[in-house]
Amino acid sequence: MLYIIDGGLQTLVQDMGRKEYYHLGVPPSGAADKYSYVLGNLLLGNPQDYAALEITLLGPVIEFRKKTVIAITGAPCEAKLNAEIVPMWESLLVKEGDVLSFRMTTSGVKTYLCVSGGIQVPDVLGCKSTYVLSQLGGYQGRKLQAGDEVQIGEPLPGVFQQVGKRIPDEYLPPFSTSVDIRMVVGLSSYRLSDEGLRAFLNSEWQVGLESNNIAYRYTGATVTFKPTEPAFGAGDNSSNVVDIVYPIGAIMVPNEKELILLLRDATTGGGFVTIGTAIHADLDLIAQSRPNTKTRFISVTVDQAIEARMNKKRKVQAVQELLR
Amino acid sequence: MFMLPETRFDFGGDEYIFAEISRDMSEESNFKALAITSELRKRQIPGILDICPSNSSYLIRFDPEVISASTLLDYLKEIDMTKSNPSALNLEVRIVEIPIWYDDPITREYGKRFQERNIDHGFDSNFELVMRLNGYRDKEAFIEAHSRSPYLISMMGFIPGTAWEYPLGLRREEIIQTPKYASPRTDTPGRAVGLGGAFTVIYPLSAPGSYQLIGMSAVSVFDQTGRLEDLRDSFFLARPGDIWKHRPVDEGEYHRILSEVEEGRYRYRMKYVDFSPEEYFAMRDQYIRQLMEDF
Repeated sequence: MLYIIDGGLQTLVQDMGRKEYYHLGVPPSGAADKYSYVLGNLLLGNPQDYAALEITLLGPVIEFRKKTVIAITGAPCEAKLNAEIVPMWESLLVKEGDVLSFRMTTSGVKTYLCVSGGIQVPDVLGCKSTYVLSQLGGYQGRKLQAGDEVQIGEPLPGVFQQVGKRIPDEYLPPFSTSVDIRMVVGLSSYRLSDEGLRAFLNSEWQVGLESNNIAYRYTGATVTFKPTEPAFGAGDNSSNVVDIVYPIGAIMVPNEKELILLLRDATTGGGFVTIGTAIHADLDLIAQSRPNTKTRFISVTVDQAIEARMNKKRKVQAVQELLR
Repeated sequence: MFMLPETRFDFGGDEYIFAEISRDMSEESNFKALAITSELRKRQIPGILDICPSNSSYLIRFDPEVISASTLLDYLKEIDMTKSNPSALNLEVRIVEIPIWYDDPITREYGKRFQERNIDHGFDSNFELVMRLNGYRDKEAFIEAHSRSPYLISMMGFIPGTAWEYPLGLRREEIIQTPKYASPRTDTPGRAVGLGGAFTVIYPLSAPGSYQLIGMSAVSVFDQTGRLEDLRDSFFLARPGDIWKHRPVDEGEYHRILSEVEEGRYRYRMKYVDFSPEEYFAMRDQYIRQLMEDF
């Protein structure tokens, strides 16, 4: 069991996320940076989809009430086990009564704490992820607070021999204050003027403060719409379309000065013009970009998007081989 | 016979295919979306992960490692051409009554709080803004216009349990319409009734939002606690193709119903009917009147 002494800013139980309920408005949720999360599980020999704790910016203080093995991955931050600083991206032994505490992340946003045997909470709609907006799943549908007692699985067979294993540096994800996000242009991009689309692709955008697991907001440039007759039923503002179900990663333009990019806790439908969709492989990078991060959007083809996806998958497989 | 619009397909990144049946909203487009997505659901194709009908479009999520993007696109085009006739679509649907307290103080307060994000800052409330934009001067006449006709559940999405409602049996010029906020609110109260474009939605829980707020529903449209008997099998009140009927209530009745909901005693007023899109297109409002008899 994990005893929560301090919940931190926002610590959530997350796993791979929900499937099959999207048509009812239920987003996938799940770990915001899947790559870091999966690497944490691999370090422990856990199945890739075992639930972990996702820490946002300011971490929790946790007392372990069971001897087990853990791994800390994702956004860099100083973590201490009792009084001693412990490394990230490495499997660590913890004993009953040990206290783990975190300082602010120094870059990036999401840090993961994976535990051998996984975090154990009941499945809701088929998974353990927390979807805070609808209070679904995770630990009682909410972030962890002081006094919570979070169940963990039995340490998996052989895991104590894994202690000290490390992810080689070349496989660690970048955490930068300037990112390139690849996206596929489309959906209702026909509503933008040519110069509007050029401005979108050629400008530097900044991540806004009101960004979270639901959506990232960006400002910094002006995107102009094409003058068109509004579609019937859309509402006659230039940014309005007849409401659609949005893909995860959809980039919408509610007004000429603002972009909203939907992440894993997305509001799954709405009626704003969408320019296109960020590719699956880059969603992790978006979720790790802090407010004010400089962002450029790079237009790619569907084939390039799939290639990027497969490259990332091969990287995970390579790490899995190395740790075997 | 009615005409079916031709669908435009587009990729959403590497995991989605978006099919836009029409840019305009119409019942024809919506029933086509329902017909194609239910056909696709029946076929259980490996690699297709989510099948989402929407107002005048539909969205498919797929795993490109299981099914190739271009193969799936061709496959969808074929279904779209051959299996999209809504006259074959007969639906067993539920008519559900939604009691609404229109122009209430809660949505007025939210309208004020987020005034700066709206399309026009000069109105006291979203209710008043929508009323004026649609040429109404009298509050009661507006409420009557919004609650008289039944609404088709034309899409689900946004947050769990949110359903888009589109008025049935009306001519385009009779339908109340409004632009959305210029920048979405960061908060909306749960059970708030919003208008955007030609659609009405009820916010299941507190959430961001961009629709103009015109009242509060006394009943929940989403419940995961299991306290309401009618929402025990599914957390969601709405199903695409269902029909909802709004009934204006005053403050006293709103609070009476709300406490029944909160104590778990409330039973939704509901009726099961067979809905035929073909008959609807042939007879329109006459068919709707028939359907709504004794409700």
